[in-house]
Amino acid sequence: MSAVGAKHPYIESLLRGYEMPRSGISWLNERRAQALERANALTVPTTRDEEWRFTDITPLTRVQFQPAAGAPRPAMADLSRFIVPEAAARLVFVDGAFAPALSVTAGLPQGVVVSPLAAALDAHAWEIEPHLARHAEYEREVFIALNTAHLRDGAFVRIARNRSHPAPVQIIHVSTRKEAAAYPRCLVIAEAGAECTLIEDYAGLGDAVYFNDAVTEIVAGEGACVRHVRLQRESGGAFHIATCAASLARNARYVSHTITLGARLSRFNLNVVQQGEGAEIEMDGLALISGRQLADTHSLMDHARPSGRCQQAHRCIVGGAAHAVFNGKIVVRPGAQLTDSAQQSRNLLLSDRARVDTKPQLEIFADDVKCAHGATVGQLDPEQVFYLRSRGLSTERARSLLTYAFAAELIDRIPVPSLVERLEETVLAQTQGNERA
Amino acid sequence: MSSVLENLVNQPYRHGFVTDIESDTAPKGLSEDTIRLISSKKNEPEWLLEFRLKAYRHWLTMAEPAWPNVKYPKIDFQEIIYYSAPRPKKLASMDEVDPELLKTFEKLGVPMNERAKLAGVAVDVIFDSVSVATTYKQKLAEVGILFCSISEAVREHPELVRKHIGSVVPPGDNYYAALNSAVFTDGSFCYIPKGVKCPMELSTYFRINTQESGQFERTLIVAEEGATVSYLEGCTAPKFDSNQLHAAVVELVALDNAEIKYSTVQNWYAGDENGVGGIYNFVTKRGLCKGVNSKISWTQVETGSAITWKYPSCVLLGDNSIGEFYSVALTNHHQQADTGTKMVHIGKNTRSRIISKGISAGQSNNSYRGLVKIGPRAENARNFSQCDSMLVGSKCGANTFPYIQVQNNGATVEHEATTSRIGEEQLFYFASRGIGAEEAVSMIINGFCRDVFQQLPMEFAVEATKLLGLKLEGSVG
Repeated sequence: MSAVGAKHPYIESLLRGYEMPRSGISWLNERRAQALERANALTVPTTRDEEWRFTDITPLTRVQFQPAAGAPRPAMADLSRFIVPEAAARLVFVDGAFAPALSVTAGLPQGVVVSPLAAALDAHAWEIEPHLARHAEYEREVFIALNTAHLRDGAFVRIARNRSHPAPVQIIHVSTRKEAAAYPRCLVIAEAGAECTLIEDYAGLGDAVYFNDAVTEIVAGEGACVRHVRLQRESGGAFHIATCAASLARNARYVSHTITLGARLSRFNLNVVQQGEGAEIEMDGLALISGRQLADTHSLMDHARPSGRCQQAHRCIVGGAAHAVFNGKIVVRPGAQLTDSAQQSRNLLLSDRARVDTKPQLEIFADDVKCAHGATVGQLDPEQVFYLRSRGLSTERARSLLTYAFAAELIDRIPVPSLVERLEETVLAQTQGNERA
Repeated sequence: MSSVLENLVNQPYRHGFVTDIESDTAPKGLSEDTIRLISSKKNEPEWLLEFRLKAYRHWLTMAEPAWPNVKYPKIDFQEIIYYSAPRPKKLASMDEVDPELLKTFEKLGVPMNERAKLAGVAVDVIFDSVSVATTYKQKLAEVGILFCSISEAVREHPELVRKHIGSVVPPGDNYYAALNSAVFTDGSFCYIPKGVKCPMELSTYFRINTQESGQFERTLIVAEEGATVSYLEGCTAPKFDSNQLHAAVVELVALDNAEIKYSTVQNWYAGDENGVGGIYNFVTKRGLCKGVNSKISWTQVETGSAITWKYPSCVLLGDNSIGEFYSVALTNHHQQADTGTKMVHIGKNTRSRIISKGISAGQSNNSYRGLVKIGPRAENARNFSQCDSMLVGSKCGANTFPYIQVQNNGATVEHEATTSRIGEEQLFYFASRGIGAEEAVSMIINGFCRDVFQQLPMEFAVEATKLLGLKLEGSVG
């Protein structure tokens, strides 16, 4: 069994008081031990690392975080504004711990499992074993390694073969405690031909400074379809570093909508691997930030097999002295012929202190492919502003309307109507806030 | 890949011959002594020796960059000959140039006399590291233009060289620039005085001759207020099994309302079809638009070298200044290219334009890496970038790494990239019109590269078109 002896002092501090979660499942113990070993060996990335060039996580390392223990439980009323009425099932985690009183898991149709991971380990071990900590690689990423070493509980969603579960499943991670570190974990398995919608929601209550190090793994079997809405609305002082690894089999479909609104410093890695032929991927990303926020999205679309299709749209709206980072990598492996992959990165700078660093990246090793990317950075089109003014709107109003429209185009595509409505309200409030600022 | 395409790509290297001239060669290896030797051989002033030593000491503290998308065995800097010059002989005119050397140029297809006369080109020939002869110097001198080797400039115009050398690419800028600053042996110097429009295209021809010799040339072009110049550079090297290092530094300075256009056709030996031998081309090229309304334009056709690693850049410091980059990079067999540009917008209303066309064939790897940076004070800056890749065959790779960094909300930055290939259908269409595969490929490629070729001076455009055709022979089918 590995012990804590981290090479890097900050990782050492995160692991202080660490006790390996005990379970009778040997493969899980083994994976945790390996992850701990990697966490010990790896260091905290700096801006000298290409992958972290624009995201300086020094502010994170200035705070000492400890795993939350005996956290106060928020009442249902505190959560009401996060709850999506369409959802058929809901798992709520408070400061990393499962909150059964706030969750709904009953009354699901046959073949649909929505359960805390710890409770599912016995009954579903044979399904979980091939996938848990097998897609999010803890070998090289220290934050994945830390999460995996702490793996105790999490959300588990499984849709059986050819089952369609149209009502969304909502997973809410609420953070309440200051200087608490949590390691949220999620595993979603959609078997061949299955269909589901997942809403993953990171929300902060109050304005505490806390740290979420999250890992989500999504497995879509042959012909399966997973719709994934990811909301990051952490508190304004929070740190959020997360990875989502999706693995797609032949003809699978993965549609993701990533909305980034909160956290002082956030980093989200979305790694999609097309393991089978003909998979279809749509990735939408929207970051709406202001103040001194930093939001970094790194996506990787790995076309490992032929005939994949991918459409990616990433938009950032940056106000105040905020800083948005986007790195979108598309890899077409040798032999992945007939790939059709397109990426758009569009960025709107609302103030003269706002900053954007965007890097679309293509790596192509097959010749019969269609790949394109485009990136724009700019301000609102003066002609459009002029047009609205000619209709009697004030300049400020015209600007906020256009900013709103820029975001709404992506929000409208989210397959959950109540969420669309609420997000659009949020955006409107924020753009009008900018209007006044 | 059909056999027609295959034959197309596998054209042997035409410039692969060694010229047997007695040369004055320094022993292998790099140390402060080597640098002192180079400096003394060239009778350099003390400040330049200091400049070299400072760069060398800085270089010792630096690490070789690992970020480029290229793979090569570690370079042993002690195995390189840092100085190799043809035996010194005073040359009064072209007729006195070593006939062997002239033959070399003939083989290269650059008969200096004729070409110079016909095309009105003044050629400054760099053979290994020493400038052999400069033609048309007289005519240029009449309008006050200085065009000579950098060693000569150090002797004749030390104040100008001292003022500008290292001002755009500081000696410690990067690993290879530091190395070059320490050991550079020759290169071109060009100074266009205030208000002068250079009456002809200036041209340099580089050639690496000695096995295991590194070529470290240094070019410095200064255009004073309102001056205009167009500069061409062509490069070749003979065939050797071992790899040769070429680490050049080019600095351009454009003052108020000045304009510099710099064109390169690079055809260094690329290694054989198994990737043995070839030039490592690790070059730092940078232009500084120092004055208002100045303009620097880079055009490059990169077809040679085993490895190309270069990013001709523009620092747009002056308000309203313009930077341009037009590039065609072709790789075949086992060649690797990691090339692109940097446009750094500092002044107001600065504009830049990037057009890059990458063609990969065989098992080669071609990367575009570019940076567009808009500083916080670059109000109204504008950039447009387009980088297209074409793949010929299924074993090659094409990558793009465009970095876009914007810190001013008044800026507009646009970037587009596409990837395509020469498809069976296109070839079939040509065939149905009675056009064979080779010609069809050549036409498609030329169409693909048109935006860049249009920027080249006429004779170079013709040469570049032919060069691409030759390089690709045998890769389509």
